[in-house]
Amino acid sequence: MPLPPPIRAAVVMLAAGEGRRSGHHTNKVLLPLAGRGVFTWSIHSARRLASVTHSVLVIREDDREAVMATLDREVGPPDVTVVVGGDSRHSSEWQALQALAPAIEAGEIDVVVIHDAARPLAVTTLFSSVIDAAVEHGGAIPVRDQGHLTALDHGEQPPDRVVAVQTPQAFRAGPLLEAYRLADADGFVGTDTASCMERYTDVPVLCVPGDAGNIKITFPEDLFLAERLLAKADYDLSGRQRHHRRESAMSHLRDLLPHGAHADPT
Amino acid sequence: MSTNEAELHCEVCNQLTDHELHYTGRLLDSVRCTQCGTHVELSSRALIPAYALDLEQRVLSKPRRMLRRVARDPVGYLRQLPRAVLRQPRKFLSEFRGLLRR
Repeated sequence: MPLPPPIRAAVVMLAAGEGRRSGHHTNKVLLPLAGRGVFTWSIHSARRLASVTHSVLVIREDDREAVMATLDREVGPPDVTVVVGGDSRHSSEWQALQALAPAIEAGEIDVVVIHDAARPLAVTTLFSSVIDAAVEHGGAIPVRDQGHLTALDHGEQPPDRVVAVQTPQAFRAGPLLEAYRLADADGFVGTDTASCMERYTDVPVLCVPGDAGNIKITFPEDLFLAERLLAKADYDLSGRQRHHRRESAMSHLRDLLPHGAHADPT
Repeated sequence: MSTNEAELHCEVCNQLTDHELHYTGRLLDSVRCTQCGTHVELSSRALIPAYALDLEQRVLSKPRRMLRRVARDPVGYLRQLPRAVLRQPRKFLSEFRGLLRR
């Protein structure tokens, strides 16, 4: 029996940010995190998968020089395609999809994975699970239950089930490109990728379990937390179960790590 | 100790503001909001063991990182090597000094 054709996925990393785009301050995705740029951690995680054949990084023009230097230093071949994003997340995704359009139309890409580069701790297995689910169902987004939400004072009670949506989110490439083309023609700007897919296609979007460690760098405390999580994972985001933890000469110090921070980064 | 600046969300200002970030080695040591002055830092009790672990990881991963750079640009790597080697003692001394001063 012939083997099914291998899946080919493109990963789009959104690194254009949502900052004020003024001044001379570093985009947070360019900050160093445990010796590597925030945005390159998830490029490495995604590209561990053989199915990831294309990578697109969406940046802001002001960051081009710093991004290229970081890519040169930290990311090996194959090359990452760099495109300049727009003034919204939707517009940045559209720029990336236009860069991928020839390959999608040539049938070289089956699935497009959209990931926020400010989530450096997305593990390889999470990329794999959204890609597999997108191939099977059409679209996949990772979610985390937020069952503990409650109303403040006499405010409206939240619905019984509230989920927090994460990235990476994966969609079949053809319908995704078509949805963004229609959105562009209509002048529609979606809040996220799934909203555009839901509006212009009937492709079902499946929720897959997200990961508690897949934090988004937003507050200063998130950077401290990300460093600790990376150290606890021995800087390995493959997501593989490790049966034999590497014994470090300083393993006894590892237990000290959860204590003593002035600010609790949780 | 190295510094960086970036826009992060300040909980006190409740908006995106410029922050100063200070690093010891590769580890984030402290962050300060330049608008309201809110300062978040790791205590020495947490930073010193974390630094020791990170230093170990840096040393263990050094051969692999060196090989990767040699493979990518052997001539450039060899040209930069003497200066990089000479820089190391001063770099580590400054990191240790920064830790001891806390």
